[in-house]
Order: sequence, then structure tokens, then C-alpha cells
Amino acid sequence: MSINEILYNIQDLSVEFHTRVGILGAVDHASLDIRRGEVLGLVGESGCGKSTLGKALMRMIEEPGKITSGKLLFDNIDILALDDSRMRELRGSRISMVFQDPMTSLNPVQRVVDHITEAIQVHQSYVTDKEARARAANLVDRLGISHDRLDDYPHHLSGGMRQRVMIGLALALRADLVIADEATTSLDVIVEAQFLDLLRELRNEFDLTILLITHNMGIVAELADRVAVMYAGRLVELAEVNQLFSNPKHPYTEGLLRAVPNIQLDEGELYKMAGSPPDLVRPPSGCRFHPRCPKVMEICSQVDPIFKSIAPNRMVNCWLYQEVPDEKLWVGGSTQ
Amino acid sequence: MAMTNTELAQNGSINQMIEDVGLLRRIWRGRLWYGTEWYITVFGGLILVTVTIVTLLAPILSPYDPNDFAGSQFIPPGGGPQVLLTRSGESNRVTESYLNEQLVGVQRNKNGTNIAIELELDYLRYQTQSEQIEALQNQEVDSILVDERDLDAIIADFPQLEIAADGIGPSFTLGTDNLGRDILSRLIWGARTVLGVAILSALLSSVVGISLGLISGFVSGPFDRVASLTMDSIYSFPGLLLAIAMAAMLGPGLLNVAIAISVIYIPTFFRVVRGQVLSIKEELHVEAARSLGAKPFSILFRYIFPLVIPSVVVVFSLNVADAILTEAGLSFIGLGLPPDVPDWGYDLSKGHSFLVAGHWWMITFPGVLITIVAMGFSLLGEGLSEILNPRLVKS
Amino acid sequence: MSPGLRRYIIVRTLLTIPMVLILVSLVFIVLRVMPGDPALAIMREGASEEQLAAFRAALGMDRPLHIQYFDFISGVLRFDFGESMVRPIPVTQEIKTFFPATVELAIFSMMVTTGVGIFSGAYAAKNRKRGSDYAIRVLSIILYSLPIFWLGLMLQMTIGAGLGWLPVSGRLSPGMTPDRVITGLYTIDAILTLNLDLLVDALKHLILPSITLGLVLAGFFTRLTRATMLDVLEQDFITAGRARGLHERVLVYKHGLRNAFIPIVTLLGLQFALLLAGAILTETTFSWPGMGRLVVDRIYDRDFTTVQGTILFFALLVAGVSLIVDILYGFLDPRIRY
Repeated sequence: MSINEILYNIQDLSVEFHTRVGILGAVDHASLDIRRGEVLGLVGESGCGKSTLGKALMRMIEEPGKITSGKLLFDNIDILALDDSRMRELRGSRISMVFQDPMTSLNPVQRVVDHITEAIQVHQSYVTDKEARARAANLVDRLGISHDRLDDYPHHLSGGMRQRVMIGLALALRADLVIADEATTSLDVIVEAQFLDLLRELRNEFDLTILLITHNMGIVAELADRVAVMYAGRLVELAEVNQLFSNPKHPYTEGLLRAVPNIQLDEGELYKMAGSPPDLVRPPSGCRFHPRCPKVMEICSQVDPIFKSIAPNRMVNCWLYQEVPDEKLWVGGSTQ
Repeated sequence: MAMTNTELAQNGSINQMIEDVGLLRRIWRGRLWYGTEWYITVFGGLILVTVTIVTLLAPILSPYDPNDFAGSQFIPPGGGPQVLLTRSGESNRVTESYLNEQLVGVQRNKNGTNIAIELELDYLRYQTQSEQIEALQNQEVDSILVDERDLDAIIADFPQLEIAADGIGPSFTLGTDNLGRDILSRLIWGARTVLGVAILSALLSSVVGISLGLISGFVSGPFDRVASLTMDSIYSFPGLLLAIAMAAMLGPGLLNVAIAISVIYIPTFFRVVRGQVLSIKEELHVEAARSLGAKPFSILFRYIFPLVIPSVVVVFSLNVADAILTEAGLSFIGLGLPPDVPDWGYDLSKGHSFLVAGHWWMITFPGVLITIVAMGFSLLGEGLSEILNPRLVKS
Repeated sequence: MSPGLRRYIIVRTLLTIPMVLILVSLVFIVLRVMPGDPALAIMREGASEEQLAAFRAALGMDRPLHIQYFDFISGVLRFDFGESMVRPIPVTQEIKTFFPATVELAIFSMMVTTGVGIFSGAYAAKNRKRGSDYAIRVLSIILYSLPIFWLGLMLQMTIGAGLGWLPVSGRLSPGMTPDRVITGLYTIDAILTLNLDLLVDALKHLILPSITLGLVLAGFFTRLTRATMLDVLEQDFITAGRARGLHERVLVYKHGLRNAFIPIVTLLGLQFALLLAGAILTETTFSWPGMGRLVVDRIYDRDFTTVQGTILFFALLVAGVSLIVDILYGFLDPRIRY
């Protein structure tokens, strides 16, 4: 198994929400590969569409949202062509998701053990109750929860423990891909650190592929191999984690990194990006970042740049790094 | 995360856009904004507008006086006109002496029921057709009324009878009741009664409920606790029973019934208003007014009360719907209005007695109307709650 | 039972006292204080001054109000509602005779209501904003806009009198009597005494009234279930379950409904009044010899003490049920920590 084997191939994915005020393009023509065994960070401000992208990967976009274009290939399975029951089989068994808020992600009137056995038996109906319970006990043991807590209700557990249970649920069937959607956001710092350690261990042990959706650059730095940056529904930069941090290309990534508080450098005042995220019903023309971009050029408001490879393992969606076409071609409107 | 609809709805520019257009256009535009909720509301509204027009035009629309004995009893819908039959050779006498004076009027006996005072036709009202014909042949009476559609059959069987007058009373679209009153006219006039009582009682309870709710939510403390507990207790008590007890004590009468019903709905106004006041009280603009030294009274009425109005409108509409049902229930039990007031519930209770005889039209139409009008108010209330205040009632 | 739960029950029981006091006072105000002379209302116009005076004296209404009030309260506390004015028996005895009929009607109606309401409400919530959801919503609005007694009349006319399939009034056919009244619920008595004919007859008589009352309440119950279910189905654990590959049906009917159950039970307890009010009208329509029928009949019979006693009994009943529902809630919800 090579590290470069592509597990999930996302091509030209668009997700739209049909709302009362118009069509909201939450994800706009995003293309991305997730490689087997890697931890891919997906970062961006809240509302940029990263969670929607994560949900789209499991085909869990809810009304009034819709996947309007693109192709999703998971392990060469065409996700968008699957019927509902085959899709359900895939969910939880091959692709799992860990959600942001462990306090509300567990059924409050269901015992912890029942969550796990239910998840196992839904996909492997041949497993007996006793077997499933034994597997659940093993699992929580591995996650550092004493298995006499199995019969507890979720409200008996602390936030950190609940999030471990959530991870346990994601791993109960040895899923290939775990999508962690802001999985640590609601945990306090110490619990978060423990949780990240656990995630790292599990990753090695189970040979997991993780899509780490977060707005926290610190977590990305700690865990991710590669990072994709998203802005206003579009992917703007993709790089290996070291390169991204040492040499950000896209002005938005730059701003994002400068906005992270850094104890060691003590740069005085924290950088604050100008402006606010755009209205996705009426996004800015051309590059969506241009109204806030410190390096904005004339073309930026006119023509969309292309998400383009500028170096091995490095893609940027910015006119700074691609040839600006002849003015005649774009004045007065977008080429797209 | 994508923006939710409510977040979008709060978008200032869009609200401004809607503020700019006139009321009617605003209602019309709502169709795009609220989708199905809008159609529900407008459908409810249309029902109510229609009923209101009918009640206002009752004198014009109703073919008969609702208390008149306009035809013979139990004429089925579409039935009539009637034919006055008499023995051969006596038609002139009968026509002269009786026909013009046939209907004298209504009188109430001491039990409060209507009795028909008519000349000769009086006691025939409670007999079957064959009994009536027999009475005619035995010279007990001089004339009987029969349905024009039955005429051929009767003349064939009893050739010795002849027609004294025909075309008496045009047809009865919805038939007549046990006293020969026109059901359609009773329904049209009954709408006035039902709407009047229901709206009056909702008005009464809203005045009491809103003021108590405003004060209770605003001052808090022991007054609030006592008032809340009292209201909760009334709310948990079966309203109809309370209304029955009050109606029985107060005696019949339009205002009395309205008062009896209004007590049931005070708590609903109280609870909603109090809850809203409690949350509005903490809002910024009220805090600001207070810090600028506004008097408590003016805070309550200038800053808090206007914000409560949308919920009150919703509750009002839903309560009128329920009050209509309660009013009908009271009259059905026999505790409602005086018997000379046309009323749907009363008609139903009368129809109940003749149900087994198969006079379906007596109980069908009043019930359908009660349902439709109550539904109109419910739909309006539901829809409005969604449109005016999405948080009040879950869609 | 944990000490916490026990404390909760005791506190909740103590909180019932002011509620009972308020309800009893309310009844007192309506019957004794409000404008409208009960003597005149009951004896009607035409009664002589002596008759009215005798009536007032019999009820102690000639005494000052505050003395009447304390008398009234103490009577309630001793569960002594006085003697019926129609028959020389205590009002409590009358209530004992009529109450089981209401209980039986209420139980069977609730079966109809919960059966129809939970299913259609959950189904509507599952299919939110689709055709079936709107259809169920409109249907439930129509259902609770129906006058209960009118629905009863229509059923009587069609299924009862028209087709002759089912009896339209009473609890048992003429000539049928329970061998022994044990609980007063004829269906249960019939089972206890192994009397099949009685059971069938009692059930036949129950069908139309229970459907009438049950359906109208189902309109309300459907909306309640739907609204609660929508709240529950929006929660994260449903999405999380979906991400684990659980079937939509399992999510709605197992996870969703189990969570919605507790608020539904609580709200339903609050709406117990609705059931009683509906029962009064249903009983009137079907000549069902229950509490509602008792009140209405006795108003005509001018039996003031029984009317008063019955209303007081309803007040105690309402307070009792709200207490029971709250305690039940304590047992049902694993999240409650005392």
C-alpha cells in the first residue's frame, strides 16, 4: 500500500442550498484527493463550506441542500451513483464521521454500549448481542474508558469521554476514512491534547485515513500531513503541512496564519484580516477573496483564477501564481 | 455551515425591501417567501372573509326569517315548494280563511322551547303524512301541506283530494327542521351568533389575560407567582366544565355565554404574554430605555407591549377557533343562548333527537359549518404564527 | 427508589396543595360568589321566595361568605361533598357510580388517540415538507376543528343508525348487566367474571364513543408528536446516527420517538383537561353514564350539591393527574438528577 494511493477522489464538487433568498453556493467546484493513510487538514473560517464538503463526502447533505455537480469516487466507488441502501452500508462501516459536539451527538436515552452494539449490528447483522457487547467492551478499553461505564447513559460521561465514545463508534467497524468535523472544538485544552494523542495513536494502529476539518491551525500543525485551505466555498490552497506553514502562497492562507496567536514570537498585536466573509448567495465576482485581499490586482475582481498546481504537492487558486491573460480577453466580464 | 433560513431572513436589506411595498403587495409577495405556510394562512383568511361577508349580509342572503315556520317539517334539502291539499270542492273556503294568515309567529313556553302557534295546521306538525291525510279525510282538519314531489302519488291514491293552493314557499335549499324552519336561513343567521359570541369572548379574555400577563411578567415577585399559579390551575382545569358551571349560574344570554367562555382562555393569553414580557424585558432596547430614566409604565406600554402584539394576534385567532367549538358545545348541552337566537349548536342538539328518523340534513350542515369556521381561524392562527413569529409555534 | 427521587416526589406532592386550593377556591367563586344567584339559577324563575330561602338554608348560603368558604374547604378536605338533592345518598356515592364509565371511555379513547397520533405525527415529521406531511397536518387541523359531539352524531347516524352495525347509546344493551361490579369498568369486570357476552357487548358500545373522542384528540396529539419529533430529529445525535449508517426508519421510530416520548407524555398530562372536556360532550352525545353526563343531567335536575361535588372532584382529579405525570417524568427520563 503506497502512501500515494488515492482513497477518495473529489472532482468538481458543488453543493447548493436553495433558500428563500436565493441559491447559496456552499461548495463551489471543489476538486481534491484524499490519499490512503494520510491526515488531510481542511481549514477555513466558519461558514466557508468545509463542513458541508465533509458531509457531501458521506452524501449527507440535507434539504434544502443539494449536490449539483461533480463526481465522488471513494475507493473507486461512485458515491453519487449508489442507491440509498448501499450508501447506508458504506456509512459507518467504511466512512465514519466524528462530530463537533459530543454532548449532543449521543442519544441521551440510549446506553453507551447500545450505541456501539447497534452500530456493529447494523452493518454485521450476524454478530450476536453477546459478541457485539464484548467487542464494545474491548473498544472502550482501548479508548481509555473503563468498561464498567458501558451501561452508563451519555449524561454520566464527561465531554472528553463522550468524544472518545464517538471515536469508538467511528472505529467500531474499522472504517477506512474518518471525517473529524471540528471534533475537538468543544473540548477544553487539556482534554483536547489527550484526544489528539489518542487520535494519533489510533491512526497508526488502525492505519486510518483522516479528514480533519477544523478552523484551528494549531491542530492542523500537530496532526495533519497535508492541508487544504477553503475560502467562501472554494479551495484556495493545498500544500504539505510544513510548506504551508513556512511558505504560505495564497494571501488568505497568509492572513489565516498571521491571525494565529503565537506565544513564542510575541509579535505584539494580533493580525486581523480586513473585511468579513462574503454572502454566499451573492458572492463577489472573480476571486472571492479579492475584496479583502491585501495584494488585489485588477484582474482579481473580473476573472476567476484556477486551482492550479504550482509545484509538486502544491496547488494555489490565485492570480499571483498564474499567468494573467491578455487584458482584451477579460475586460468587461469573466471568461467563465 | 451554511446560513440557515432565519439568518437569511434577518438580512437587513431584504427586510427593507419588504417594508417598502404596500400591505397587499406584501401579503402577495409572502407567497414566495413562506411557501405552503402562506397558502394555509390565506386559505384560512379567505374562509373567514367569506363567513364575515355572509354574516354582514344575513338580512339580504337569508331567504326566510330564521325563526319563521316557513314550510312543513322535515323537508329534505332541495325540497318544497309545498302544496296545500284539501277535500274536493272546498278549496275556495280553505284558501280564503287560512292561507293568508297561516303563520302567526313564535312563542316560547316556560321550558324555553319554541312552540308553533298556527291556526289549524298546528298539531299536524308532529304527525306523519299518512296520519295527516287520514285527519283530512276524517274532517278533523280542512287542509294539509304536502311536498310538491309527493303530489302525484297522493292524488293517485286519494283522488278525492284537490289542490287548494300550490307553490307555497319556494324550495328549501338545505331543507327544513322539525318545526319547518328554513335551515339555510338559520345557518346564515347562526353565523352571526357564533362569530359574535366567539369573538366577544376572545376579546374579553384577551383584555384580562394580556393586562395580567403584562403586569405579571413585568413586576415579577409574589404577584407574578400567585398569578402564574392561578392561571396554570385554570389552564389545567377542563375549560368546558368551567364554562358549563358559569353558564348555568349566569343563565342564558349572549353576553353571559361570552363571559362563561372567556374565562377558559384568559390563561392562554396570560401565559404567552407573560413569557414574552420576561424575555423582552431583558432585551437591549428596554434596558436602554430604562437607563434613560423612562417610567416603568411607559416602558411597559411603549417598549414591551408592541412587541407582544404578534403573538397575541396568533393566540387570539387560535382561541376564537376553540371558542367556536366551546360555544357550540354549550348550546349542544342546552346551556347556551336563548332559544329564539339562531345558533348552530342548538340546531345540532335539536337534530340529535331526530337522528334515528333519518333526517340527516338537520345535523349535517350546522356541523360542517362549525368545522369550517373553526378551521378557518385555526389555519389563520397557525399560518400567522409561522409568519409573524417563527419561534412561537413549531411548524 | 433513590433518596433524591423520594425527595422530588415529596416536594412535588407538597406543591400540589396550592394548586388544589386555587382550584377549589375557583369553584367556590364560580358557584357562590359570582353574580348570578345559584338559588335562582337552580330553582329557576317562578320559585317562591320561601322555596329560594329553603334552598339557601339547605346549602348554608345564608351565612357570611368567609364562613361558607371555610366550610367548603373543610368539606373538600374530608372528601365530603354533601348529599345529593335528587336522591338521599352522598354525592361521593354518586361519583363512585358514574366515574368508572368515564375512566373506561377515557382509556379506550386514549388508545385511539395515541395509536393514531403517534404514528401520524412521527410519519409527518419524518416526511417533513413533503405531500404526506401537509396532508397529515391539514387532516389534523380538520380533526381538532370538528365539534366532538358532531363527529359523534355523524358516526351514530352512519355506522350506528344507518348501517346498524354498532349501538349508538349507553354502555350495555338493555337486559345486559354485569354479574358483579368489581372495578366498574365493564370490560374488565367481564374479563374478571369470564363473561364473554358481556365483554363483547361492552366493547361494541365502547367503539363509537372512543373513536369519536379519540379521533378529535388525535388531531391535537398528531401535532404535538410532530412538533416534538421535529425538535428531536434536528438534534445532532440523529445526524450522527445517520452517519453510522442507521436506517431512516430506525432513526425516526426508535431513536427519535424514544426521545420525543418524554416531552409528549408531559405535554399530554397538561392536556388531561382536554380529555375530560371532550369526555363531557362525548358522554352527552352517546348517553354514556359518566361524570360529564352526571353534571349535565344534574344541572337540569337542579341538584346543586351534586354539580358542585362533581366539579370539585374534577379539580382534585386534575391536580392528582398532573402530580402523577410529573412523578412519572422523574422515572422516565434518565437525565433527571435530583
